[in-house]
Amino acid sequence: MKAKKIVAAISLAVILAAGLYSVIYAYTSIPKAYDGSDVNVVDLYNNPADYSTENPDGVADIIVKQNLEKTMAANNVAAVVFDFRGFDTLGESFILLTSIAGAFVILAKSHKKKEDEE
Amino acid sequence: MKFKSGISEKNVIMKCGADMMLPFAVVFGIYIILFGTVSPGGGFQGGVMVAAAAVLLYLAYGYNTAKQAINTEVLRVGEACGATLYVILGLCGLFVGANFCRNIFFDNGAVGDLISAGTITFMGYSVGFKVLTGVGFLLLLMMSLLAPDADDEEEDAE
Repeated sequence: MKAKKIVAAISLAVILAAGLYSVIYAYTSIPKAYDGSDVNVVDLYNNPADYSTENPDGVADIIVKQNLEKTMAANNVAAVVFDFRGFDTLGESFILLTSIAGAFVILAKSHKKKEDEE
Repeated sequence: MKFKSGISEKNVIMKCGADMMLPFAVVFGIYIILFGTVSPGGGFQGGVMVAAAAVLLYLAYGYNTAKQAINTEVLRVGEACGATLYVILGLCGLFVGANFCRNIFFDNGAVGDLISAGTITFMGYSVGFKVLTGVGFLLLLMMSLLAPDADDEEEDAE
């Protein structure tokens, strides 16, 4: 029993040390890219087609530009959900359909009784 | 307080609050569905907001009134219709020689117009209709579990 506890403590310590090391490594030596700090969000939202790309910083600018070229939708999330990831949305909506059909089969006891009486 | 016919008198504050909130909830939900490609929001969110009107109706007036006001058969059929419409609109991309769910006829009008985004606007509408009817049907189904006694008593009396 005691040996088990010691092994568990040692393994937890190792995992903690590895996690701490990875956090410190990620914080110090991975270069920052596309943090979007230079993006003027208000300007980008108000005037997306003519937003200046001389100083492109951030994925937001690239996403808005490419999205306007390909779909003309002002809401990028709608464009991603219905165009670029259409299959995913198809699956999502059919999950809803299937779950409601299953809930109907399980929960609709009184419903069924009424229909039989009629 | 409960009457013999199974109609239960609800709180007056609940009733007045629901009467006040219900039109705004429905209109705002439909607005979010219709402007899904232009402003933040979309089919799923707006559909759930409209379906929440059924909950308001139930809280204020009880299950029997909610069931009389909302036709569950229409909801059940409407969900399947919305799902079919989504597949058909997705297949539109195949007919013009691109992949499934490809956006077509999108280059008309200015950015920010309602119909300028092509098929994804109508796909958003179909998903919104589907979620509206499906979640509304599911909520009514759950309410029928919460208030089964009134129905049974009525049936027994008859």
